[in-house]
Amino acid sequence: MLAFELIVQGLIQGSIYALIAVGLTLVYGLLRILHIAHAALFTLGGYFGVLVTNATGSFGLAIVVAMVAVGGLGMLVYRFCYEPILARPPHVALIASIGLFIALEEVFRLVFGPYGISYTAPPLTATVVVASMNLKQAEIMVMAGVIVLIGGLAVLTRRTRVGIAWRATVTDPAMAQSFGVDVIKVRYLNFFIGSALAAAAGVMVALLNNLVEPTMGSVPSYKALAIIVLGGLGDVRGTLIAALALGVVESFGTIYLGTILDRDAIAFVFLIVVLMIRPQGLFGKT
Amino acid sequence: MLRLTELSAGYGAFTAVHGLSLAVAPASVFALVGANGAGKSSTIMAIAGHVTVQGGQVELDGQDITALPVARRVSRGIALVPEGRRLFGDLSVRDNLMIGGYARPRRDEAENRARVIEMFPRLGERLDQAAGTLSGGEQQMLAIGRALMARPRLLMVDEVSLGLMPAAIDVCYAAIRRLKEAGVSVLLVEQSTARALEIADRVCVLESGRAVWQGSAEEARKDPAMIEAYMGLAKV
Repeated sequence: MLAFELIVQGLIQGSIYALIAVGLTLVYGLLRILHIAHAALFTLGGYFGVLVTNATGSFGLAIVVAMVAVGGLGMLVYRFCYEPILARPPHVALIASIGLFIALEEVFRLVFGPYGISYTAPPLTATVVVASMNLKQAEIMVMAGVIVLIGGLAVLTRRTRVGIAWRATVTDPAMAQSFGVDVIKVRYLNFFIGSALAAAAGVMVALLNNLVEPTMGSVPSYKALAIIVLGGLGDVRGTLIAALALGVVESFGTIYLGTILDRDAIAFVFLIVVLMIRPQGLFGKT
Repeated sequence: MLRLTELSAGYGAFTAVHGLSLAVAPASVFALVGANGAGKSSTIMAIAGHVTVQGGQVELDGQDITALPVARRVSRGIALVPEGRRLFGDLSVRDNLMIGGYARPRRDEAENRARVIEMFPRLGERLDQAAGTLSGGEQQMLAIGRALMARPRLLMVDEVSLGLMPAAIDVCYAAIRRLKEAGVSVLLVEQSTARALEIADRVCVLESGRAVWQGSAEEARKDPAMIEAYMGLAKV
């Protein structure tokens, strides 16, 4: 039974990693940019979640506002941070992204204070019994929310013209453009969706921890980078599986190795070991 | 239909095509032949807008399209089957065809796809299969079919026979013949000059980016110097 509970807890944590990492891999797949500042958008999503819930009492509205607002900001990040330097070597965009991430963390510190903010009346705190396990409503909401969002992304990319055009653009931008696909619009859509997913993850983490603070994106940013390498850079399916696997390994590791290593150390040891065995990632080709 | 006037094109400081002039008539097949590196692919990539035009003019139906962006050329009726096919390998056959007709109204998609499948029935059997898993011949059929989804008036096909089994080449060439009969102009790039002359109305031989011979396909067959130098078909 303990193993089952650990798997469930691991999947909940992995689902959040998945939401963050999918946005990152989408950007990498399309533009070959390691978008470190993505983690700051995750943090901003958390702030929106808490602030809007506290102001309106509606957690559902908070998720929508966070996703739309942060999605829009993601497009601005592309327009003003990355688009002007697309023709430069990839390390230029990487450095710009790291700079933006640090700057945004400082902005959060200045605007929202250094100690973080919490829900005045935390939503979804009741406990329910599912398959003999006590789960918080918030945990169930996180899993259900991730399934809906990732499912929606799958439908978008496989069943709609714009989604299929997006996948074609990732494969061969020049050819997609030659058939009339507007590559610029695809890039904006890419940043909107990736950033909105990160914002949703931020809202969910804020819900689970009842805390948002300026540096909450730091550790997830490292983990998300490792996850997209593990899943095969640009591979959404691989990223999802890698994120869930990491969550489960962390969950078991915390119980069985917790006296030796902390949760984050266990995660990175796992990632290092896997990448030593398969440097191309779990699903990458040699 | 298509007229190139003193076209020069290339990559950065490198010029691959030097002052090329030619005209492709409506409902005809024009073959660009020559050895590897002669500038054939660069010519059609410049017409499609993928390679920088360094000088001269590209006209379609009397209108200058030299500076038009790639997508606008597609909407003017130019479609490209590039060398190596460049299919979207992870996408299904159906989705590749959809992208081919992306610039067309959505309501035309089913009709255009039916037209392509009528020409290449094998694609109809593999609509939900990933393009990357098709055989070489089927991939070439899909590359042509994808271009036809845009309902082009000028189809440019680069190395249609490269790496294909003879039976697959026959299917692709039969399709090009049918397109010509349907009023589509075809600009064909081929290393296999003998195959190109089977269906071409006019031929231009390129060497080091320059036209060294131009005339009708019939003249090409009769010109022994041209035959011996470029075709490998002497004493036909």
